[in-house]
Amino acid sequence: MTDSTAVSARDVVHRYGDRLALAHFDLDVPAGRVFGILGPNGSGKTTFVSLLAAMQQPQEGTLEVFGLPPSAALRARVGTVFQENALDPLMTPSEHLALAGRMFGLDRSTARSRAASLLDQFGLGGRERERIGSLSGGMRRRLEMTRALLHKPELLLLDEPTTGVDADERALLWEQLRDQGTTIILATNDLAEADHVCDDVAFLREGHVVAVGSPAALKEGLRRDSVRIGWAGDARATGDELRSWLGVGTVVERDREVIVTVDDASSFVPHLFARWPGAIRAVAVEPASLEDAYFHHVGRRGDAAAREDR
Amino acid sequence: MRANLTACLALFERDLSAIRRSRSQVYSSVLTPLLLLIFLGTGVSRGLQPSSLPAGNFTAYLVPGVVVMTAVFAATFASASYYRDRDSGVLRMLLSSPASSRTVLLGKSMAGVTLGTVQAFAVLVIAAPFVDFEWQHGVFTGLLLSVATIVLLNLVLAGVAQALASRIETMQGFHLLMNLVLFPLLFFSGAFFPVENLPVWLEVLARINPLSYAVDALLLAAYADSSTGFFGLTIDFAVLGGLAIVVYALGFARMPRLTWSGK
Repeated sequence: MTDSTAVSARDVVHRYGDRLALAHFDLDVPAGRVFGILGPNGSGKTTFVSLLAAMQQPQEGTLEVFGLPPSAALRARVGTVFQENALDPLMTPSEHLALAGRMFGLDRSTARSRAASLLDQFGLGGRERERIGSLSGGMRRRLEMTRALLHKPELLLLDEPTTGVDADERALLWEQLRDQGTTIILATNDLAEADHVCDDVAFLREGHVVAVGSPAALKEGLRRDSVRIGWAGDARATGDELRSWLGVGTVVERDREVIVTVDDASSFVPHLFARWPGAIRAVAVEPASLEDAYFHHVGRRGDAAAREDR
Repeated sequence: MRANLTACLALFERDLSAIRRSRSQVYSSVLTPLLLLIFLGTGVSRGLQPSSLPAGNFTAYLVPGVVVMTAVFAATFASASYYRDRDSGVLRMLLSSPASSRTVLLGKSMAGVTLGTVQAFAVLVIAAPFVDFEWQHGVFTGLLLSVATIVLLNLVLAGVAQALASRIETMQGFHLLMNLVLFPLLFFSGAFFPVENLPVWLEVLARINPLSYAVDALLLAAYADSSTGFFGLTIDFAVLGGLAIVVYALGFARMPRLTWSGK
């Protein structure tokens, strides 16, 4: 682990009863970056993040955050935003932040001045004496961020922080978070958001890391174009045939839509209309996205079921 | 250590200040025991005219028991703050702080002790001028003994309540258990009738009942003249103090950690 490494996980194993949540998990997170942890439900994202928050201990392997194992001392250096709010609706923002400040060892005056500054930054200035229950969903998320940043954490853990937050609020939140200059680990299922805000991402599957790198680097190895095909009828039967075509990468089938990554959309699309005349409702061609990279590395739920069957 | 103390104090203050928002709970927790005293005390005194009381009338005898009952209810209600914090997610925030889980429980418990003590002592002080207390150790010493008894009793009750709340998943289950255990304990603690001259089986139950020692101490502090009580003050304080130590040493030794999702 070097000075520029915020998190180092080596061969970490964690179980819940018989279920293996993290299976020989290895990952390094560089300091000062926004790092996304992406994976399907049950892939180990939340377990890994809860270990980083020192809310539980890894059962095997080595986990260090800024060179420290998970401990109370580490919790003083970490800020956490949970997926669901951790706010008492009967308290006011200033009361909530005063409590959080003292729980994290700040004296009253430091907590007060820091809270006032953060509330202003996050657009909550003037609302500090209103009951939290009267604040909008977006305001409550911003208050959560304010609370997590109050003690100037060196590592900020965000578990689906923008669920239910509109686009304007999201932009404001990320603008403010980036200004803090702290290392951020974002556990999310929102691939578009991760593509937009993360410097690096790790894809998780079945408790271990299957790919890690910057979104650009992860997309680089993919086929060049992403083609979204809208079908007039059920599209699911077309997947196997498309996979056998030359130049086709991943194929994701939904009810009336198929998303395909291809080397060259300009030759693929005419071929498509020739094969299924009248069956195609719409075609959209986009550059390959992080979602394509995700499906390429992680696979789909159907793929996992197929692997288990094998 | 200092950080844990600060965190404990912060939680203590926060839980106490939360009471400002539910004043009706405080008023009713004092008013209900007083109404019980008025109606049950007057009814039994006049209607049944009990003759085997050590001193005074039944209403005076009933006061220490009702004070203990107030503490029991206060501890049960105070534990609701644990469930409120868990369900609102605040408990996860508290446990993600450097403070130990024991500190979190202790801070909440101390707030419960304070509230329970204030409520129980208020019932005693409001009732005292209207009943025939003998104050055999003098009013001032009697009040000091009463406060000490009430604090020790609340330490035990609030400690048990918080320790149980952190282990019982639903508030309904918690209240069911508290009612199932504490109501019968109240009945054979001497709160509503003297435990002297009872059948042996009931006397045995009274002797192993922690609430009996609190009722006994309060009876000795306020109610009867020239009485040595059932156990005596030394034993009463030794048992209550010992129980408080056991509750905090064992009950708070390990608090189940919440998962990240708070479930």
